[in-house]
Amino acid sequence: MNTIAALEQAEKLLTPWTKEAVRPESNRLDVTIAGLDLYACAAALKQEPWGYLSAFTGLDLGLEVGELEPLYPFCEGAAITTLRVRLPRQGGSVPTLYPLFPVASFFERELSEMFGIEVTGTPDPSRLFIPDDWPVNVYPLLKDFDPKVVQPRQADSPRSFQPQDGQTFYVPIGPQHPALKEPGHFEFTVDGEVIVGARMRLGYVHRGIEKATESQNWVQNLYLLERVCGICSHTHATAYVLGVERLAGVETPPRAQAIRELIAGLERIHSHLLWLGVSAHEAGFDTLFMYSWRDRETVMDILENLSGNRVNYSANIIGGVKFDIYPEHAKTIRQGLDFLEERIRHYLDIVTTDILFLQRTRGIGRISREEAAHLGLLGPTARASGVVRDVRIEAPYGPYSHYPVSIVTSEAGDLEARFVVRLKELFVTINTIRVIMDNLPESDLSVRVPRRIPAGETISRVEAPRGEVFYFIKSDGTDRPERIKVRTPSLCNWTAVLSKAVGSQLADAPLLIAGMDPCFSCNDRMITVKRLDGK
Amino acid sequence: MNAQWMPIFEKLKTWARVNSPWAIHFNSGSCNGCDIEILATLTPRYDLERFGVKLQGSPRHADILICTGPVTRQARERLLRTYEQMPEPRFVVAVGSCAISSGAFQNCYNVIGSIDEVIPVDAYIPGCPPRPEAIIDGLVKLLQHVSSSSKMEIAK
Amino acid sequence: MFSALKPILQILIFPAGLFLVASGIVVEWIDRKLVARLQNRVGPRWFQILADIVKLLAKEEILPSAANPWLFIGLPMIALAGCMTAALYVPLMGLSPAYSFSGDLIVTLYLLSLLTLSKGLAGWNTSSRFSLVGATRGLTQLFAYEAPFLLALLGPAIVAGSWQIDVIMQRNSSSWIILTQPIGFLVALIGLMGKLELPPFDAPEAETEIVAGAMTDYSGRGLAIFNIAKSVEFVIGLTLVAAFYLGGLNNPLEYLLKTFFILVVLIGLQTLLTRLRIDQTVGLWWRYGAILVLIQWMILIIWKESILL
Repeated sequence: MNTIAALEQAEKLLTPWTKEAVRPESNRLDVTIAGLDLYACAAALKQEPWGYLSAFTGLDLGLEVGELEPLYPFCEGAAITTLRVRLPRQGGSVPTLYPLFPVASFFERELSEMFGIEVTGTPDPSRLFIPDDWPVNVYPLLKDFDPKVVQPRQADSPRSFQPQDGQTFYVPIGPQHPALKEPGHFEFTVDGEVIVGARMRLGYVHRGIEKATESQNWVQNLYLLERVCGICSHTHATAYVLGVERLAGVETPPRAQAIRELIAGLERIHSHLLWLGVSAHEAGFDTLFMYSWRDRETVMDILENLSGNRVNYSANIIGGVKFDIYPEHAKTIRQGLDFLEERIRHYLDIVTTDILFLQRTRGIGRISREEAAHLGLLGPTARASGVVRDVRIEAPYGPYSHYPVSIVTSEAGDLEARFVVRLKELFVTINTIRVIMDNLPESDLSVRVPRRIPAGETISRVEAPRGEVFYFIKSDGTDRPERIKVRTPSLCNWTAVLSKAVGSQLADAPLLIAGMDPCFSCNDRMITVKRLDGK
Repeated sequence: MNAQWMPIFEKLKTWARVNSPWAIHFNSGSCNGCDIEILATLTPRYDLERFGVKLQGSPRHADILICTGPVTRQARERLLRTYEQMPEPRFVVAVGSCAISSGAFQNCYNVIGSIDEVIPVDAYIPGCPPRPEAIIDGLVKLLQHVSSSSKMEIAK
Repeated sequence: MFSALKPILQILIFPAGLFLVASGIVVEWIDRKLVARLQNRVGPRWFQILADIVKLLAKEEILPSAANPWLFIGLPMIALAGCMTAALYVPLMGLSPAYSFSGDLIVTLYLLSLLTLSKGLAGWNTSSRFSLVGATRGLTQLFAYEAPFLLALLGPAIVAGSWQIDVIMQRNSSSWIILTQPIGFLVALIGLMGKLELPPFDAPEAETEIVAGAMTDYSGRGLAIFNIAKSVEFVIGLTLVAAFYLGGLNNPLEYLLKTFFILVVLIGLQTLLTRLRIDQTVGLWWRYGAILVLIQWMILIIWKESILL
């Protein structure tokens, strides 16, 4: 159904509990409800089914208003229905949504530790991103948070996990571990080689970016947000500028939009090839790692040619892009793409026919479609289980309406499917880039945007190589944002790893983790820990 | 030990250390940009193995600690422990602007600071992220410095 | 007086001792260089392995507090000593083994397994999470590969009618057993890869899973000695397989060519294949390897009864 119809349907569903319903943007519906009704509303939406729970956001409405406002956006195609709850600054609480949406557990922990909102009934109230030695009752995202209150660490902090009793044997993976290029801490309880319990603790890369955005102006924040993640930096920048441009009411020139999509495509190529190599390395197939990264250099060269940097190419500015694509570039890009297409075909062949590699991937970590939808998975991990979830298709943003992409899914849902889906996506991406280059519109590269962005709120959703990136941006009319919330796909996909780890072999653990293409720096703006074995 | 042999032994040891620098990589809060460029140095186009660098898994097997990222509160202790586990002689290389000065994250509440506020750093490789060639260049400069510096004479 | 000196020289210089360590270094270098080349890279310089060893020997040795110091220091030496002693019975460089007695094949194979046993014990001794998993995997793999390897080497022994390495080699020097017992050759090769924990059978040392397995907490001298022991075992393994299956090693040139050939085959297999999970390596080989070797034996015995080979 189309967006307007979807929003009307949602509005109708929520009528029993609605205190106030507003349409701030053409694709958004904001419904203010009472905290106690939260579960009922979420259940009604899930029952229909209407959309999936995409993120939580918390807002501190300021000391004068004296209230906090958690937001619960649900996305159905391009339509977004946000449930809004008003709570007092201290002592507020909301019920958990975990029984309906397992992924809510992560969001709820973030909400509690950042704002001090209590979530009743949440399965794991422990900290997600905030470090162990952070003082109690200090909530970073409140407006009156004073960084000086939190002194740097002193001596040894308490271990994040208590050692288990002598009966069980646990193998820690991380924070420093050859399998993980980034720090994260997993503890697998093993019985022989079989994993019987899995816990994880993130937060090693939690830098406090969301808070930092409140003290920098809109332009400075662009550079900060690009560095949430080095691999999908363009995606974050795109999500941000799309939101800000919408708030400012400017229309980005068509050529700039096309270039944005082109760079996003190139980023997808580099990211998936990177992932292929790293996963192969995890599996012990170093040769594939070496060859795929050698070929990846082709796309790095293209990006460097265009932007001047191999990573963090910084293509976006608020209002457009910084650089153009000249005919000489176009030729190099096409040659590079031709070469890459052939190589990717070769890798697809390997991944689907190499006997030993298949022994490590076929049938392992299988997640069914229902499970994937229930767990709230995103990106290629979800698509490999047959869930049709891709923001570029469900809610085309910017140029994607002009240069659409087709979706790639698989029914198998195992590790092999995740390899296949990502590689096939690259074929689609390469073709899209060719189409864009054949049809680049002539126009300016950017448009002027005022220094002060008009007040308002907006939600920006963009498809990163790993899945949906969700940005909530609120402006109070000044030259600094009031709140920026970033929810990255890896946060939602952790459930996939942990649920599949139990019962698998220890040797499969690195591949299971790698299979969802985790990006700790993306999700560590927040922390998550989850226990699986129910003990 | 015969005093005549000492300088020769020292020279031999220094030569071996400079030519066999095994490295371990630690990310203390980086956005990954630097990490992927470090990984890229192992791949065919740049091939760090030419210089004898092998990426190790255990800190006990490594001579060089390659660090990226600003130090977040949570990562700080792990960084220290990793460093302490390395046997002498050991060197630390800070890769990227964040490792050198917190980079873009200077205003972030969970960032303690640069790597050299936690452990002593021997080489700084600037960039956001530095290219693999720059990383190799920095490592080579460190090795040249090691082979010619007097630090080695005091080593055990 | 010279005859008293002879065993000492044999142990210290040739065929054991320095010569063995040197051949180990050469073999390891060829391995790393060829793997790099196959992966489209340049690879290490010629003196790299030597530099690695000297560096490790000069590095600070950290003794984990939970480990028994005698075991910690002694186990690497036992491993190396075992391999060195085994070298005295194999035809290194195509020359007759330094010592030879009936049944020395079995003794040599036992000595060769000392390396895996020491590693296993060392892993248990340092008692960190990763070393324990690595040690367990190593010992499991030992059971899976030791037996087929031994049985594969016994094929030529049956044909030659002896348990003495020198005798086996002499009697088989006119025929290339690889042609008459190809299955046995295959089993021997894979058994060797499993014993040495070469990829794809390097689960005990799987860097991406258990950091460095049993060796995680070793540094400096201990690590250097274990590494040397491993390359030495590689050399001896290559020699044995070449001697038995490739028509004996009668002179240094034959030795170099034949062992190089097997080395290249092993390196090719290393690069092409993904690491197998430990249950896959053991399951695979314990079943198929043993069956294959038994089939080979049956063929052999029937053949020997009916026709004189």
